[in-house]
Amino acid sequence: MTAIIGPVKATPYLWPYDGSVPVERTALICIDWQTDFCGPGGYVEAMGYDIALTRAGLPATARLLDHVRSLGMLVVHTREGHDPDLSDLPANKRWRSAQIGAEIGGQGPCGRILIKGEPGWEIVPEVAPVAGEVIVDKPGKGAFYATNLDLVLRTHGITHLILTGITTDVCVHTTMREANDRGYECLILSDCTGATDPGNHTAALHMVTMQGGVFGCVATSDDVIAATEG
Amino acid sequence: MPTVEALPGPFTFAPESTALLVIDMQRDFLEPGGFGESLGNDVSQLRRTIAPLAAFMTNWRAAGLPIIHTREGHLPDLSDCPPAKLERGAPSKRIGDPGAFGRILIRGEYGHDIIDELQPAPREAVVDKPGKGAFYATELQDLLDKGGIRSLLVAGVTTEVCVHTTVREANDRGYECLVLADCVGSYFPEFQRVGLEMIAAQGGIFGWVADSTSVTLEERP
Repeated sequence: MTAIIGPVKATPYLWPYDGSVPVERTALICIDWQTDFCGPGGYVEAMGYDIALTRAGLPATARLLDHVRSLGMLVVHTREGHDPDLSDLPANKRWRSAQIGAEIGGQGPCGRILIKGEPGWEIVPEVAPVAGEVIVDKPGKGAFYATNLDLVLRTHGITHLILTGITTDVCVHTTMREANDRGYECLILSDCTGATDPGNHTAALHMVTMQGGVFGCVATSDDVIAATEG
Repeated sequence: MPTVEALPGPFTFAPESTALLVIDMQRDFLEPGGFGESLGNDVSQLRRTIAPLAAFMTNWRAAGLPIIHTREGHLPDLSDCPPAKLERGAPSKRIGDPGAFGRILIRGEYGHDIIDELQPAPREAVVDKPGKGAFYATELQDLLDKGGIRSLLVAGVTTEVCVHTTVREANDRGYECLVLADCVGSYFPEFQRVGLEMIAAQGGIFGWVADSTSVTLEERP
């Protein structure tokens, strides 16, 4: 007996739009839960930000991971990062990161900042991938551009996405917008996301709900768990 | 090279590799009595961008620089409209339904076209897009590559939806984007403010923000 998700008590409509969706057609996307962004000793913390804000979604995401793994749902983890020779780093991105004192490729508190293979680039242990889960490395904020994510999802027959990760207004929002344009029905979880600026977290979630759900819906992980049958 | 006083810092661009991107200034979104207004939106929030953008486009053309226009819309048979977009939220009016200016957001209909004040000039490119972002499933990337474009000045509607999605796509692709604050509009003043703040946050994580009047151009001799 296959599990079914939905209808989930979400804003602005009961998610998904088509009533419910089998687990086989749903993926949980965990975006950029990397040490440099939310781990103790990562570069975001070294820059003086309060990582309690980017870590806020970790416990709920870990609990949700347990739930969806027990259902056999596809889990995809993303990591933002660049090749050690920086050949996939746009010049303006490098310049900007240097302007704010965290140049990509430079030495940070956990190895070279946002470079593949460095300790700071790894996913934090609380929500680390397990064997068989998909990991997508992305050079930008969006997880679709210059990656195989769309191919992986379509190959698995995925039509519906549940999004967690950091930060709400930057990488999660960019990915949700890309997914929405590609026809995926998206649900972002308010308790499984976070931003360095709490105002931007709130505003980003609010934007999703306008105009009848212009990018999809907002709910909590408990709403998803409560709406699982089978 | 022109330098613009912008947030979070000066924006410098080479005119020969810069285009003005004008997003979705369509009748369905901007005209009184149209689709946008029928959903309860205040179109005056968008219409305040028309005069400054028209003036800026005049100067931009006088300098001999390229303009690319986009339109959001779908094929008459809706074959390029994802079911989730068509059906979600049980809207009072759907894409493809009859509206005041023809079928809503359907290519070829009067309401789908660009408002009279900002009509494309001959030979200016018009990119039709099925989504919020202007890069996905369009020829925009090819147009920019062939034109040698590396920087974009961005105008249009709405700030937090199609403008933001397109700027995010452009930024990931390495384009430098300056969003013209007085030439982008949202139905919601709060999202106009937050949307512009998000562009320039964290050292300009998606690009730069300035008013069009801050951009000084030399007329082509």
